Amino acid sequence: MRGGWVSAKHALLGLLIHRPAYRYQLGERLEERLGPAWGINSGQLYQTIKRLRADGLIECIGGTEDQDERHVFAITESGVREFDRWFAESSGGARLLRRPLLVKIALAGPDRLKDALVQIDAYERDCAALLKNLSHMRDEIPETPEVGSRVRADHVFLRLGLSADIRHLDGELKWAEDAHEMVSWLLTEDAIWPSEHGRSGASKEARDRQNARDELFGRIAARQRRLGSGEERRDRDG
Amino acid sequence: MLRLEEISKRYIRPDGVRVALDGVSLELERGQIMGIFGPSGSGKTTLLRIAAGLRKPDGGIVTYNGERLDRMTAGERTRFRRREIACVWASHPQQERLDVADHVAMPLLVDRCGRRSAERRVCEALLACEAEQCIGMELRELSAGEHQRVAIARALVTEPRLLLADGPASNLSIVEQERIMMLLSELARKAGVAVLVADSDAEALLRADPILYLRDGKLVDSEPMSERGKVYQFPSTESRRAAADA
Repeated sequence: MRGGWVSAKHALLGLLIHRPAYRYQLGERLEERLGPAWGINSGQLYQTIKRLRADGLIECIGGTEDQDERHVFAITESGVREFDRWFAESSGGARLLRRPLLVKIALAGPDRLKDALVQIDAYERDCAALLKNLSHMRDEIPETPEVGSRVRADHVFLRLGLSADIRHLDGELKWAEDAHEMVSWLLTEDAIWPSEHGRSGASKEARDRQNARDELFGRIAARQRRLGSGEERRDRDG
Repeated sequence: MLRLEEISKRYIRPDGVRVALDGVSLELERGQIMGIFGPSGSGKTTLLRIAAGLRKPDGGIVTYNGERLDRMTAGERTRFRRREIACVWASHPQQERLDVADHVAMPLLVDRCGRRSAERRVCEALLACEAEQCIGMELRELSAGEHQRVAIARALVTEPRLLLADGPASNLSIVEQERIMMLLSELARKAGVAVLVADSDAEALLRADPILYLRDGKLVDSEPMSERGKVYQFPSTESRRAAADA
C-alpha cells in the first residue's frame, strides 16, 4: 500500500504550512488526510523531519532538545517558499507503468508460461482483497455532512484519494483478468513463438484458416484492382 | 476513397433538437484501418450510417471514389452499397433461429449467386474468420465472439471495398477482441480494404491508425492519443508492420 511518486517531504510541508504540529501528529495526519497509501513508519518520519530541519525548511519551536517527542515543528520562511515552488511546478502528465508481472509473462516463453499464470492468479487475488478493504474504508467516510449542513473538505479529499486507489486497483484487477484469459488462450493455442524460444509452426487448423484467409483476401484484393482500374479508365475517358 | 466533408446531422426529438454530428470531416484510403473513438452517444453510429449511405446527412458532402453518395437516390445508394460496402453492426440480428450458413449466404443469394458457389464462399469466409465451427449452428447458439466473427464473415462474402464496423469488439473478452482486430487489420493490409471501425472502448481500436476522437458529434482532435506525446501513443502502422515482419 506504500509508495507513490511524491516524497513525504512536500506532504509534510503542506501539513505544517497550516499549523505547527508534534511529530506523531504529522504521521497520523498524513494518513488521515491523504489515505492509506500514505502510511509512514516512525523511522521514515524521523528521517524526513531530520532532513527538513537540516535544510532549514522547518524548525523546532517548542519542547526541549532531550525530549524529542515533545518537539513542536513549524514551517520556516524558506519552507513556505519551497512548498510554493513545488506547488507551482507541473505535477507531471499521465505515465505508463512498468509492471514486473508483465515482464515475466512476456518473457516467460512456452515453458514457464504456466508458472506465469499462477502469478497472475495471485496478483488477481491480491488486487481483489485490497480493493475490498479500500471499498470498506471508503464506505466508512460519512457521506452526509457532519457539521450543520456544511461539507467537510477533508472528507471530500480523503474520498478523492481512496477513489484514485480504488479505480487504479479496479483497473489492475481487470487487467489481471485479461492477462489470465490471454495467457490461458496462448497455452491452448499452438502459437508461433519468437525465434529465441526455438519453437514455431502452426497447427493444421490454424494453417487451414490462414489459407482460407489468404485466398479470400487475395480475391478481394483482385476485385479491388479490377474495379479500381475500371474507375481510372472511366475517369480518363470522362 | 471515402471522403466526408463537413457532415452534419440533427435528430428532432420530442424534447428538442439533438445534434448528432457537427461538421465532421475525414478521409479514408484503401488499405487503411481508421478508428473512431468516442463515448456512447457521441455520434459514432450516425457517422457510420452516413458513410454507408444508409442515412442522408443534413449538410456536407459524402464522396466515394469521386461519386457523390449524398446526391444519389435511395435506389442508387442501395445498389452502390451492395457492390462496394459491407457493414458490421453492434446489435445482433433478430432472426435467432436462422442457420449460420444461411445467414452468411444471405447477401450472396440476394445478388443471385448460385447456391453451390454461395456455399463454397460461405465456408471459406467462415474459415477465414475463425468461425468454421459455427457451421450447422443456429444464430441463437453462438457466443458473443462467434456472433461478431460470423457477422464479419457475412460482410466479407460480398468482397467489399469498404468495411464499416460499429463496435465489432465491444463487450468481448480481450482474447476475442484480439482475434477480431487481428482479422480486420489483416483485411486492410492484405486485401487493401478500407476499414472504418468505431468503438467506445479504446482498447478495441489499438490496431487502427489513425484514431479519431469523436465527442458530442465533433471530431475533437484528429489524433488526441498521440497528441499527448509519449504517454499513450498508439504505434504507427509502419512501426507495427515492421514489428510484424521482423
